[in-house]
Amino acid sequence: MREETIEQAIKDLVERYGEGVRQAREGSQTLVRINEVELYPACRPAVTPMLLAFDSAQPKPLVYVQPGQLLANGRAPRNSSTVLVGGESWMQFSFNIPWAEGDSIIRFVAAARQRFAQDD
Amino acid sequence: MTEIELRVPLGLGETLQDTVYKKSAHEYVAFGLVRHAYLGGRETLLLRRVVPLPDSAYRKTHSHGAMWSGAAMAPVICQAVDENLGIVIFHAHQHEGIPQLSRDDRASADQLLPVFRQRVPTRPHGSIVLSRTNAGGVVLMPGEEQPRTAITVRWYGASISKWGREEPNGARPVHPIFQRQALVFGGPGQDILQHAKVAVVGLGGGGSHVVQQLAHMGIGEIIGVDADRAERTNQHRLIGWDRLWTWVRRRKVDLMRYLVWRIGTGSRFRSIFAKVPDPLAVEALKEADVIVGCLDNLHARLDLQDLAWRFLIPYVDIGVSIRPVEDVQDNGPRVAIGGNIITLIPGGFCLWCCGFLSDEKLAGELNGPNRGYFRGREGEAQVVSLNGLVASQAVSEVLQLLTGFAGTGIRHADVVVDPDGTDQRGFKKLNGTSGTLQEWGASQRSTCTHCSGTLARGAVMWGAAA
Repeated sequence: MREETIEQAIKDLVERYGEGVRQAREGSQTLVRINEVELYPACRPAVTPMLLAFDSAQPKPLVYVQPGQLLANGRAPRNSSTVLVGGESWMQFSFNIPWAEGDSIIRFVAAARQRFAQDD
Repeated sequence: MTEIELRVPLGLGETLQDTVYKKSAHEYVAFGLVRHAYLGGRETLLLRRVVPLPDSAYRKTHSHGAMWSGAAMAPVICQAVDENLGIVIFHAHQHEGIPQLSRDDRASADQLLPVFRQRVPTRPHGSIVLSRTNAGGVVLMPGEEQPRTAITVRWYGASISKWGREEPNGARPVHPIFQRQALVFGGPGQDILQHAKVAVVGLGGGGSHVVQQLAHMGIGEIIGVDADRAERTNQHRLIGWDRLWTWVRRRKVDLMRYLVWRIGTGSRFRSIFAKVPDPLAVEALKEADVIVGCLDNLHARLDLQDLAWRFLIPYVDIGVSIRPVEDVQDNGPRVAIGGNIITLIPGGFCLWCCGFLSDEKLAGELNGPNRGYFRGREGEAQVVSLNGLVASQAVSEVLQLLTGFAGTGIRHADVVVDPDGTDQRGFKKLNGTSGTLQEWGASQRSTCTHCSGTLARGAVMWGAAA
């Protein structure tokens, strides 16, 4: 992923989510935290912090939510696990999000939210 | 006057002391580049790099202090800005006891710290003077106007050397229950144990031995981390097992808390019913003086390694592996029993350096592209006596780290396997069939990106998105 793509993605996220977007550098990664992303009303909780990890060596960002996030049926998403990113705990989940450089990052976040609309 | 602690990794302490304790007509200066974290109830400076001021930068002065050209600091400031690090100016007053900044030192700090803060506002900056036994000075934390002046130092080497805020005032009387143990560690050593926090991650066959021994020794607080419940199949190896547990599948943390209470030496047990790296476990581990990992998988070890290096916490890892021998000789052993006790001192070799962790080995624990597909290792052979061997050695390693009973010192020479070699002590291998434990040693790999990437990095610091 090119640096310009990452910069543009951050700009777009700030435009959409305002001051709730925070940024940090962790080695080769640019981490972007969105403080509140609304999932689906039945999810528990229905709002989660979301982490996007951009890496110039990777074709698309990695996405994480707050550990303990449950689907509407009260279960954790299948093949999810807690991992450390930058010394913090985040929930990794398995979901194929079609995305390529040039696509909107807002669409990427929307696609990630979709994972929590589906019960396993 | 809230206390602040400086943690100095193995290697950097030697560089720092060699620079500032140099004897000459003037004092010598080194710049420390730091991150910070809130650990164990106090702000902590994590020393990431030491940059000695080059000889050519000093200017002649009539005082015994040090004067240097402002231009010499430019590379240090640039590095601090690039990597978002705080800057601490170090020098020494070569006496014992609590040192204080001189009037010149103070004037220089008043001038320089605001400049550093202007360049890197989100990190602490300071001026610290070291004596031979204590530290003093000023540290300006982000967002605070009043500098902090109560400074303690934790040096990592053969053991953890702590420099407090007070002059040593003699040993306190040792409680009769620890009198024979204190013959080994001394009164001050016993006092250190009774104020120490040791985290034990994994409370199964190895961890339960460790908890039991730590409690007997009177460790101040044992932080037990495990998300499992005890089952009948654990009975043959779980220390502290009680037949009543068979029917109620109690949490392992509860068994260990009960075990510690029954021993009754005054150790506290804090139950963390969670897995690493769940947030509850991570926050608890950040408070520990030493972490002991008694785990059955590499991914959890990966997390402990990451946390230990980020927050500069020594980590002792144990494991036992029992495998059948394929070509059994007449009357020969039918199993190969291997094990390890790895003592990881921040700044020394890490689990990646010594080959214990690798991308291939980690991938071998997964059934898919990420950790959500973890498959673990079920049903491996376990024997209580063999677990006990490595667990006992792990506890001895903890005692060495806390009390330095087998030697102290922060220099490379203080941690090597033999005086002519370069390998660092701390990688011991068990041969369970012969009953021997051998020090193999290991070296930090200069190309290890995991060491350099995580050492003293602290947690991620969030800023406004650009």
